[in-house]
Amino acid sequence: MTTTTLISPAPGPVGAAPVGAAPVGAAPVGAAPPRRARSATARLVRAELRLMVRDPLTLTFVLAFPVITMLIIGGSFGTRPDESFSDTNPARWYVASYLTVVIAATGLVMLPVHLAAYRERGVLRRLAAAGFARHSFVLAQLVIGLASIVLAGAALLVVAAPVYGVPSLHSGGRVAAALVAGSVLFVSIGILLGTVLPSARSAQAVGLLLFFPSFLLGAGGPPPHVMGTVARSIAKPLPLTLVTKSVRDPWLGIGTPTSQLLTVVGLAVLALVFAIRRARL
Amino acid sequence: MIIGMTDHEDDHEVVTVADLRKSYGGRVVVDGLSFGVGAGEVVGLIGANGAGKTTTVECIQGLRRPDSGTVRVLGLDPTRDAERLRALMGSQLQDSALPDRLRVGEAIELFATARAQPADELLAQFGLAARRRSAFGSLSGGERQRLFLVLALLNRPRLVILDELTQGLDPSARRGVWAAIDQLRAAGTTVLLVTHELDEAEALCNRVIAMRAGRVLDAGTPAELVARHAPWVRIAFTRPGNDGGLLDALRALPGAFEATRAGDQVEAVGERRLIAHVGAELVRRGSIPADLRVEVADLESALLALLDDGHAGVPTPATPVPTPTTSLIGATR
Repeated sequence: MTTTTLISPAPGPVGAAPVGAAPVGAAPVGAAPPRRARSATARLVRAELRLMVRDPLTLTFVLAFPVITMLIIGGSFGTRPDESFSDTNPARWYVASYLTVVIAATGLVMLPVHLAAYRERGVLRRLAAAGFARHSFVLAQLVIGLASIVLAGAALLVVAAPVYGVPSLHSGGRVAAALVAGSVLFVSIGILLGTVLPSARSAQAVGLLLFFPSFLLGAGGPPPHVMGTVARSIAKPLPLTLVTKSVRDPWLGIGTPTSQLLTVVGLAVLALVFAIRRARL
Repeated sequence: MIIGMTDHEDDHEVVTVADLRKSYGGRVVVDGLSFGVGAGEVVGLIGANGAGKTTTVECIQGLRRPDSGTVRVLGLDPTRDAERLRALMGSQLQDSALPDRLRVGEAIELFATARAQPADELLAQFGLAARRRSAFGSLSGGERQRLFLVLALLNRPRLVILDELTQGLDPSARRGVWAAIDQLRAAGTTVLLVTHELDEAEALCNRVIAMRAGRVLDAGTPAELVARHAPWVRIAFTRPGNDGGLLDALRALPGAFEATRAGDQVEAVGERRLIAHVGAELVRRGSIPADLRVEVADLESALLALLDDGHAGVPTPATPVPTPTTSLIGATR
């Protein structure tokens, strides 16, 4: 191993630099001028996107579960408008609903497991020691989470289109707002879970425990009209129920649940602020 | 005046730790620790497992919040000013990793800030130039350590904290890393080194701080610690048969603790000055053994003596002499 190259000295070390030392912070002669460094968030996003492309298996659950269950459930109740489904085509009801299953799967399963594995292996510690700010990390993971949702959501619609058809949007603005707010809400929850839970295994256990009841009661299970009183009262305040109703009803033209949408937006802001303040690196 | 600091260092303090305490679930890990690191110093934290070394540096890095006490680094509070401070520090951590599929060059891109120096030279210096496109998961343990060192130095830090610097490195790579630390010292960068490798501490550090149970046992240059806690030498040579009272003569020499014979092997133990006196005695007798060996106690001997409640520091004719770990004259500084 050669040892002839001089490591550049620290710029402006505390105390006197040794006599004859290279000018502090000086670039080596002939070196290219320093490039403008990207922000910490941009560097993290770039690295994570590369890793996602290189290891698409991390997206397996988010991609496969909603598509497979949507195909099964969507075909179970036929395509005739049904009273239990607010007089809409049940298959299309589920297509609209399952877009939020993608959101929940990303926030409650994929991100917690991914980030807890980082904690377990000491990746988060390394990022913290290198000075990555908590907000940079959270924002980068938010971008990654949203990108995953866009990708998996698109895959769901591509599969649904030839099989059940994609329902036309009755209120695109409201649907978009609900999708964005719901995604921010669940991705923030996922970041919090992933950075607080000690291991990938515990994150998987907690994540699945939160995901499946939410999935069955709030998006992918029976419609609220056919649920029993107890199940319906449990389902009603669940975050995924609120997100699903805020997306599905204006999409299918069966309602404009403003209070639910505002609640989702409020929860999303709270969850994001909480994640930025409390996520542990 | 903080234990472990010299008078002039108070003026250019990079790290100040005063009465630091940290417990985990009632188990005290750092117990009223105080020391300082001056600008441009290479300071080593040494001690047995569980001495609290890593917890101490984690408090200095702002990765852990102290229960009480004061930690100042470059004039900043590591907990309150963590983000500002970490931009000025380079850290090589024990037990950390990168994502397996992240490539070496991408890790450089990820960790390089506006202060970063050209990475090509660093990668070449640490033997990683050819591994730029290799995934972290495919690197050997030694290559990973070297990559972490590159990342620690990448942004021209004012303070470099190295925890178990050469763990997993082969001897050649170790020497290369040592040379790099020497260069950092020459460039005036302050280095805080946590290590179990006492030859490493001895070779690299201006000063070492010996810890046990979260406290400072003693601090000083490696040579000072050896002089205080293991000030002995062992001189051995072969002298067959009747030696004309050689053992008695050796025992009577100034600074001698003991002289013994086992078959043809003669051994004398005593203070360092005994080296000269034994040499003179052998010259006087006109017979200089071809296999004359001198073993000087090193930092490891000093630490062992320190950890042994300070009772095994100076062997006397009545106490057994610890086996030295260095067999080169002048190996201690």
